Amino acid sequence: MRDPSNRIRDIAIVGGGTAGWMAAAILARRLIPGGVGVRVIESPEIGTIGVGEATIPPIRLFNQALGIDEDEFLRKTRGSIKLGIEFRGWQGPGHRYFHPFGAYGANPEQVSIHQEWRRLRELGDETSLEEFSLNSVAARLGRIPAASASDDPLSPVFGYAFHFDASLYAEYLRGYSQARGVVRMERKIVKVDLRGEDGFIRALHLDDGQQVEADLFIDCSGFRGLLIEQALKTGYEDWTHWLPCDRAAAVPCESAGPLTPFTRSTARSAGWQWHIPLQHRIGNGYVYSSRFISDDEAAAMLLANLDGKPMAEPRFLRFSTGRRKKFWNKNCVALGLASGFLEPLESTSIHLIQKGLTHLLNFFPDRSCAPVVAAEFNRLAINEYERIRDFIILHYKANAYGDAPLWNDCRNMAVPEELSYKIRQFTGSGRVVKYGGDLFAATSWIAVLLGQDVWPERYDRLVDQRDVSALRDHSQQLRAFIGQAAGSAPTHEEYLARRCGYAHG
Amino acid sequence: MLMDDRIRSILIVGGGTAGWMAAATLARILKNGYSKITVVESPEIGTIGVGEATIPPIRAFNALLGIDENEFIRKTQATFKLGIEFRNWAKLGHRYFHPFGKYGRPIDQVAMHHYWLRLRQAGHDESLLDYSLSGTAARLGRFMRPVEDPRLILSSLAYAFQFDASLYAEYLRGYAQARGVLRIERKIVDVELRAEDGFIRAVRLDDGQQVEADLFIDCSGFRGLLIEQALKTGYEDWTHWLPCDRAVAVPCEIAGELTPVTRSTAHEAGWQWRIPLQHRIGNGHVYCSRFISDDEAAATLMANLDGKPKAEPRFLRFTTGRRKRLWNKNCIALGLAGGFLEPLESTSIHLIQSGITQLAAIFPDRSFDPSDADEYNRLQIDEYDKVRDFIILHYKATSRDDAPLWKYCGAMDIPPSLEHRINVFRGSGRVAFESQELFTEPNWLSVFIGQGIWPRRYDPLANILPLESVKEHMQRLRQLIRQTAEAMPTQAQFIAEHCRAPEILA
Repeated sequence: MRDPSNRIRDIAIVGGGTAGWMAAAILARRLIPGGVGVRVIESPEIGTIGVGEATIPPIRLFNQALGIDEDEFLRKTRGSIKLGIEFRGWQGPGHRYFHPFGAYGANPEQVSIHQEWRRLRELGDETSLEEFSLNSVAARLGRIPAASASDDPLSPVFGYAFHFDASLYAEYLRGYSQARGVVRMERKIVKVDLRGEDGFIRALHLDDGQQVEADLFIDCSGFRGLLIEQALKTGYEDWTHWLPCDRAAAVPCESAGPLTPFTRSTARSAGWQWHIPLQHRIGNGYVYSSRFISDDEAAAMLLANLDGKPMAEPRFLRFSTGRRKKFWNKNCVALGLASGFLEPLESTSIHLIQKGLTHLLNFFPDRSCAPVVAAEFNRLAINEYERIRDFIILHYKANAYGDAPLWNDCRNMAVPEELSYKIRQFTGSGRVVKYGGDLFAATSWIAVLLGQDVWPERYDRLVDQRDVSALRDHSQQLRAFIGQAAGSAPTHEEYLARRCGYAHG
Repeated sequence: MLMDDRIRSILIVGGGTAGWMAAATLARILKNGYSKITVVESPEIGTIGVGEATIPPIRAFNALLGIDENEFIRKTQATFKLGIEFRNWAKLGHRYFHPFGKYGRPIDQVAMHHYWLRLRQAGHDESLLDYSLSGTAARLGRFMRPVEDPRLILSSLAYAFQFDASLYAEYLRGYAQARGVLRIERKIVDVELRAEDGFIRAVRLDDGQQVEADLFIDCSGFRGLLIEQALKTGYEDWTHWLPCDRAVAVPCEIAGELTPVTRSTAHEAGWQWRIPLQHRIGNGHVYCSRFISDDEAAATLMANLDGKPKAEPRFLRFTTGRRKRLWNKNCIALGLAGGFLEPLESTSIHLIQSGITQLAAIFPDRSFDPSDADEYNRLQIDEYDKVRDFIILHYKATSRDDAPLWKYCGAMDIPPSLEHRINVFRGSGRVAFESQELFTEPNWLSVFIGQGIWPRRYDPLANILPLESVKEHMQRLRQLIRQTAEAMPTQAQFIAEHCRAPEILA
């Protein structure tokens, strides 16, 4: 076994956006006590993307790992509660469906509730599947069920995540990190120095002539991938043929009306618009394909569809959906936009950063950065990335938006084999295939598949052995229970007032 | 979709362990006369029925059936099993233990074994087994059931059973018949296929009777009466990775203390199992006919028994591998009809269990939409192939070169999936596994270390805590495990108190 003096002594994190400070915070928590130096180099000139950011429930595990108090976190980031995502217009004008962060009911008979529902449906019962989801019903009422039901961040029955201001989150984590010994350097990087013998990154040259050496470099520099791409030429896999949107325009606006505890995604002619309610404003953005709409038209479309008065000029972003061929190359690990881009349709951006950090800590290297360790990291992370990609592609593939070139193309495109197998299996029997590395559980797939009218031809035949009246009773009891639990819960505003002193306005 | 598309009748061919496990489960799951379930078993064909060792998921299977565990133990002459002891596998004279359950607990989110590796590097020589409650209890011959409270170390104990498979089949037969399963004791003389699609229509019995069914479950053993002889499904042969192709089995009398352990002892041309039950010990020698004759294999077995043999040795022949499809048309193959993997990690019953529970999850209707079989085959083939890799590891990772079998295994190519796992472990001390695998970190770790695959590194994050506090923590853990194990009753005491089986006169 190798000498322990081969251990990583210094880590340099390049970029001080959400990814950079999430990395700094968890490394400060886990590594600084062991004598590892952590530095963040962030350019004072480069702004962070920092739009209103929506998340998924595992974010709560990340905050727990940092030992962050959730109430304080909500206060500091002007956060709100998110029970799921509402999709509007994806199946045509006036259509809506909800993707809840909690399972549909519970069934003592080991048959999924959606299978029972499917049978009752056949017998003429028009009840929506959403009535069996506590998250969906509570979201519609703008209420947040008791925290006691949700102590487990990954509770199968009820779960929640947050919307928050990503710039404030980064700022909060910066304070956290600096208090635990992370050194922040506000400088621009002018050159990246590679070692002659093996091509590893040796040092970063800063604009004041200083050199920063480190054993491990974490690239959080955003789209451009200063280290992973510009220095190490890792290569990029482009997925634009499956996910054709390549731009976004973002703008915050004033809040109007009740604070909805969900993210909204509304399909538009050349893409879709997000709506992310925070305590102090609403984050909005239009993700679109530049093949089908100009930047000006997109911005106009966005501004015409705000709840309240815009609070800034729209800002534009360009991207190519896809991923680096490797997330970990030599002694560099890329996180966030430096590792790849998936549109925020299922709010996975922050999760991908978090997951990258979890893998990094699980596969933490020594100074040799053994290729076998990096290879296993890449194998797992890439597989997870691609399974999320498939989930996002599903929304486009199964659309019934209507006659618009983007949406027509998407309906007709060929999708990755793993996804097409999943769709075929669901269409056959209502069964959700589970692959190793799948982030989204059966509930999420069922919500989107049924939400977008991918209809199973059959249901689980074992449902047939139960009396229809027993099925109806069960359905009735579940709905009554959920209606009661949701209806008696505090409103989103009351809930936030209790947890973090939120006051409307 | 029409209601009368349902499976109205299921015919299970073969009444061994697989057949009655399937019958019992389907009788339990299919309620209100959903399907008529029939088992055809030939009175002439004996079941393999050697002492059978299992792995912990068997408990979930019994729970699914609603079986009382103590009653099951009494009825099948069962004993508890805390793991497997491997002798002479890494090299002659060497022993290691593969315990069920976990090794200690992570410290600061780093798996315990990395700290163990760190201590070894610092000159400590505690065994990995000192950190396993199942392993420590097994070494002391002790047993009690775990608790659920995860704060207590007793929650880390995991166990399975060793039982008489013929008695288990008999027990499940009673269970199934009480729940309406029909048993026909007849020989099948012919299998009739539908001309239009090649599905099985009916089997013809030796009394001329024809039995039709919508769904057929082939539990006919190695020959695969339906899946192979009738449907010509094809077989994937793995003999190049697992060259043993025969076994000879014999029960013997008990001598000495009843150990809660299955033992596997490597011989020159194979290995010998030792499975202690309440009323006898099951023994068998799995061997490769290329390197040893049947007579020599039997002589080796008979020379290595604890007590007096209780029968004549019986011989078995097999080809390690699996059917190309485990579900083909309207036929599902379970147990030996589906494939064969030697019982080195006691997976035979588990593979049956896995096949049945998967069938319950993907239950077809008479339209037999191919997507059902596709998904069933994808999952079952994956399960088989991963178990295969785990078993190959035992043969590959050995320094034995004292006999042709071991020379062959040392030099053979292995599946890339296994090679990857070995490389990741050697390079980093980490176990690569997917979330849905049967064998997880502690299992692979036991066999890697046991068979002498030592990692070049351990997790660098295990270096964060000062050495002194790691020593202290680990010592406390060992002590706690030791004390907890010592406070348990012996297995014999535990059985006497809870689940002593009636004596059987030989």
